[in-house]
Amino acid sequence: MAEPVLVVVFLRGGADGLGLVSPASDPDFIAARPEDLRVARSGDSAGVKLAQDLADVDFRFHPAAAPLAQLYAAGDMSLIHACGLTEATRSHFDAEARIERAAQSGSAGGWLGRWLAVTKPAGDLPALAVGTSLPGSLRGSGAAVAAELGDMLLARGHWLAPSLRQRLSAGFGSHGPIDRPIQDLLHLSDLMAGRIWSETSGELKPYHPTQPYPDDNPLSQPLMTVAQAIKLGLGTRVATVDFPGWDTHVRQAGPFGALVGQLSSALMAFWRDLGRLQPDVSVVVMSEFGRRLRANASGGTDHGRGNLMMVLGPQARGGRMLGRWPGLANDALDEGADLAVTTDYRAVLSEILVRHMATPDTAAIFPDFTAKLPGLWR
Amino acid sequence: MTFPHPSPPSPGAVQGRTRSGLSRRAFNQHLLALTLASVAPRPALALADLQSDLWLNRLTFGATPALRAEGAAIGVTAWLEAQLAMPVGDPALDQRLADARLLIRYPAGDDGPGRDWKARDDMAPLGCLTRDPAEAVDLLDFENLMDYAERLRPAHEVINAALIRAVHATAQLREVVTQFWHDHFNVNATKNEMTAAFFPSHDALLRTHAFGNFRTLLGEVARSPAMLYYLNNDDSRASPANENFARELLELHTLGAGNYINDTTTSWHAVPGAAQGLALAYIDQDVYEVARAFTGWSVGDGRFVSDGVTAPQSGRFHYVEAWHDPYQKRVLAVEFAANRAPMADGDQVLDLLATHPGTAHFICRKLIRRLLADDPDPAMVDRIAALFLAQSAAPDQIAQVIRAVVSDPAFAATPPHKLRRPFEFLAALYRATGAQMVIPENGFAYQLGLAGWQQHEYGPPTGHPDRTDRWASATTLNRMVDAALYAHEEWYGCTDRSLYDRLPEPADTMAGLALPWTVAMLGQTGGQAAMQALADALGIADLQQPLNLAADERQGICAAAIAYAALTQQFLLR
Repeated sequence: MAEPVLVVVFLRGGADGLGLVSPASDPDFIAARPEDLRVARSGDSAGVKLAQDLADVDFRFHPAAAPLAQLYAAGDMSLIHACGLTEATRSHFDAEARIERAAQSGSAGGWLGRWLAVTKPAGDLPALAVGTSLPGSLRGSGAAVAAELGDMLLARGHWLAPSLRQRLSAGFGSHGPIDRPIQDLLHLSDLMAGRIWSETSGELKPYHPTQPYPDDNPLSQPLMTVAQAIKLGLGTRVATVDFPGWDTHVRQAGPFGALVGQLSSALMAFWRDLGRLQPDVSVVVMSEFGRRLRANASGGTDHGRGNLMMVLGPQARGGRMLGRWPGLANDALDEGADLAVTTDYRAVLSEILVRHMATPDTAAIFPDFTAKLPGLWR
Repeated sequence: MTFPHPSPPSPGAVQGRTRSGLSRRAFNQHLLALTLASVAPRPALALADLQSDLWLNRLTFGATPALRAEGAAIGVTAWLEAQLAMPVGDPALDQRLADARLLIRYPAGDDGPGRDWKARDDMAPLGCLTRDPAEAVDLLDFENLMDYAERLRPAHEVINAALIRAVHATAQLREVVTQFWHDHFNVNATKNEMTAAFFPSHDALLRTHAFGNFRTLLGEVARSPAMLYYLNNDDSRASPANENFARELLELHTLGAGNYINDTTTSWHAVPGAAQGLALAYIDQDVYEVARAFTGWSVGDGRFVSDGVTAPQSGRFHYVEAWHDPYQKRVLAVEFAANRAPMADGDQVLDLLATHPGTAHFICRKLIRRLLADDPDPAMVDRIAALFLAQSAAPDQIAQVIRAVVSDPAFAATPPHKLRRPFEFLAALYRATGAQMVIPENGFAYQLGLAGWQQHEYGPPTGHPDRTDRWASATTLNRMVDAALYAHEEWYGCTDRSLYDRLPEPADTMAGLALPWTVAMLGQTGGQAAMQALADALGIADLQQPLNLAADERQGICAAAIAYAALTQQFLLR
């Protein structure tokens, strides 16, 4: 087996985990939400029932999440409900900052940045943030940031590229704020030029996935970029993908269903595209918080607390729901309003690092946190 | 995004044939061979002209030769006062915007039998910018059959106008500060047809109040239809209220996340200051109470309110008393009585926030971060915040704050250390080269998006980050390299004439082709150095020797000179 890889898909905006995997039979849930904000147990839009022994509740996937239900049924995916931050914050930016830093305020960098600093992976491209900016989890690392690998080529195909390269390498010898990024750019550009650029045709070598990815899906290209990096053997160990748009305060049902469909179909395509590389890869899907149990008066949900985490990876004992389901009765809710947090999200991440990424000790990655591993792996 | 965009910088840009008949590829190979022959290490550049552009690059979208002369003639203080005194209206800029044309193109479509619309493919004026918002209400009605591009058109016109304003406005400081408020009070203009329809009036209010009174500005923003739609307050009613606007009002518009302490207490009377009558920080309870205070703050878009009652079609703020939660509230430990006058709850929240020391610090720190440095000296923030509070009733409160920031000894003493963000970089490039913006296809917005800049389309309500470490990445820098190389190309779709045609006199020498651009961008010292570096890279020893280049190759030298000047610390940092 090649070196293990971790892919973090972050659903920005606070995804409604209660709508993605609904406790469909729970009377408190049924009472709190209009029909279109919970998964039905019967009828045309009924969701797939999950086989699980976590709680005596009929948990169902959102109907648009059929591919996820397939992955779950195949034993490739585990679900941990009621996960999240133990600190009570319902601010996106505070919650994202905390959950991606995963350490006391004032600590340097993010949790993946610390993982890279501790484990010092040797490859050419150990960390890749897909997009245009570094997520908080990779702060403090030299992770490459690119929407597509070809974006890293300096002045791609332009006649001035060689002298610009020379110019940039010589012209910023000071300790200015752009010194490091320029060195990164030159390094990454050279790396990619050797892999995905054809000198003979003067063009990029296109990536041919083994399985088609869905069209008109904002997650397709980012996941394809990750798959390409993995398959190129660049030594990629961690990759992050941001999926925005989950802040559904108003008329949630339609847009939320579309997002769930996009997430599900793109993840399935990615998984199939990996093919025989699946055993090397784990994907964790997370968000900064869940959403309010009770819908607001505009058909949406406001910021909540506990949420769903999904772990995709065949070494994990998938097809199970883990953690502890606190229920949705009034006295079980966080501040009387939200699904409580019963599993610290760091416990899930710790287990992935320990069992999948072969990182024996997570003390330096999640300082001041002793994980009780939820039991994802055998 | 639905608007058409030109080819990406490469490889599309390097294909096709040049006007001289030479294939683009052969042309590239010719210059590449020239280049490879002489690549040699060079020492770091001198930073001779940094200080002279320091003020201008912080207070405008980029120094120009004319601005340098003006600054030298009247001095920085007088220049700043002139900028602060300029009225909102600028007839020359208005004329330029009136003359501008922006492509609108979509295929014919239909919404069922007999319900069809015609295709469009024409250059149309920016008519939405000056239209009364009441006329935009039609764009929300799906009984009015049209392509979605028509509904988003107002947003695209403002995005297009933003670059025209940044490059050409005489009142540069007002544009810089307007962009600051756009990021502070962020609205994604193309989130939907509602935010798009009322984005021109949102843009206008930020510009109008850019130097004015913060409470006034805050009140206008809280009533701005684009903001009401973007943060979903338009639909917020009792009960439960929609919390989206309330939370961002506290966290992003006023007190800031640094004053959110829900992780330390969830009890209002335990918040510092509460016992003295005004909480100095906030918790989730405050968010919920503020959300209740703003129930009923909606938009006059003809919407259904209750049986027999619809909102007017004003295209402006509209208060729906029937949706308001009228009962007692407690915000920041201040008790609100029940059943108060219309909008009194919301307005009192804004009063409390606009004069709160937390807001003063948050706003002033951000403004100093924008104009000066990422991590301003806390003592300076304290000084400026004290002025902000002392002048909270002044109609020119924000102008006074800006004046104090620029007059502070730290302003001149702080070396340039902030990376120009992509939009600023592009605007500065065009300003320095004297390019005339035409922007027929709005494609620059797509190009900036590749660098992480979404002009007026930033999704999260935080607005674009303003710290250099959030922008100083290999990928953003690489897109800046692309912009430097291609921004003056015809396909980029921003400027009117080729670089070669804009040279003051016909040239076929290194000095004649390159120096006008590098000097315009960096001044004499930096400009000479950048030109010399390019000459060395191309192996051209005699700067005055005719090069016998074809027209396209001359254009290539001009663009290369611009790239060489742009990729310097002097040009990248402000």
